[in-house]
Amino acid sequence: MLGVLGILGVLLVHWMVFFWVPTEATMGVVQRIFYIHVPAAWVAFLAFGIVALCGGMYLWLGDDRLDMAAEAAAEGGMVFATIMITSGPLWGKIAWGTYWTWEPRLTLTLLLWFIYLGYFLVRRSTSNPEQGKKFSAVVGIVGVLDIPLIHISVSWLRSLHPQPVVIKPDGPSLDPAMLTTLMTGLLAFTILFFGLFLARYGVSQLRHAAEVRAAPAPVG
Amino acid sequence: MLKKISIMLLTAVALMPTELWAQADLASQRLGRAYWHVFIAYAIAWALVLAWMFVILRRLARVEQKLDQSPSE
Repeated sequence: MLGVLGILGVLLVHWMVFFWVPTEATMGVVQRIFYIHVPAAWVAFLAFGIVALCGGMYLWLGDDRLDMAAEAAAEGGMVFATIMITSGPLWGKIAWGTYWTWEPRLTLTLLLWFIYLGYFLVRRSTSNPEQGKKFSAVVGIVGVLDIPLIHISVSWLRSLHPQPVVIKPDGPSLDPAMLTTLMTGLLAFTILFFGLFLARYGVSQLRHAAEVRAAPAPVG
Repeated sequence: MLKKISIMLLTAVALMPTELWAQADLASQRLGRAYWHVFIAYAIAWALVLAWMFVILRRLARVEQKLDQSPSE
């Protein structure tokens, strides 16, 4: 249900982006990538936050459901982080004249993507699944520390990346129509993520139930 | 008189700096390319989200098959 609502929301955002919101004066039509890039980044960070939170709780309580939730969120985080990391360079090629530059925010974002790729590699590289779950939980917690660095990198370090236009001490500096489109995008992407995350978590629970059912019953 | 003006206009157009033509051409190219970049960005986003949905549905089908095959309690 949430997934369907999310898809409908994303379709509404597409209509707003292509038919309703005005074209930005300096960057032109390529600025429309912003309405997919920023919500994807927000959802990726939210998902990785859930990975760290559930991973930490799993290490503490040892409940398998927390590990399942962390894995589901990590998958979603990777999907939305890949959207962020591919849409940004497509904008950059027109705005900066290059797809990629090793400036702080881009480098730290790529690092984040590789850390969570490592999350899955660590999980599958151990012979003991329980150990894999624990190692990946640690990777998930370490990875989330990169997110505040990504956020502050544009203001604290010399960065080419545009400065924040919404989360600012003196309030958003966007045109009201652009801000409405962005907020709709953020909401639609968040709903879509939670819809798919819950579906993915449900599949993990079903798989766990199937494994328990298939396991031989204790003798005696 | 009209003939003279026409000849002057044609001469002016012919002698127009090539940079102006080049810039007009470049502007149209950049605008076209920008549209392509926007469409590619949105297409990649859809492809990734749909791929994740497909993977979830495929896993669900596999688990349901496994549950059907396993002995019921």
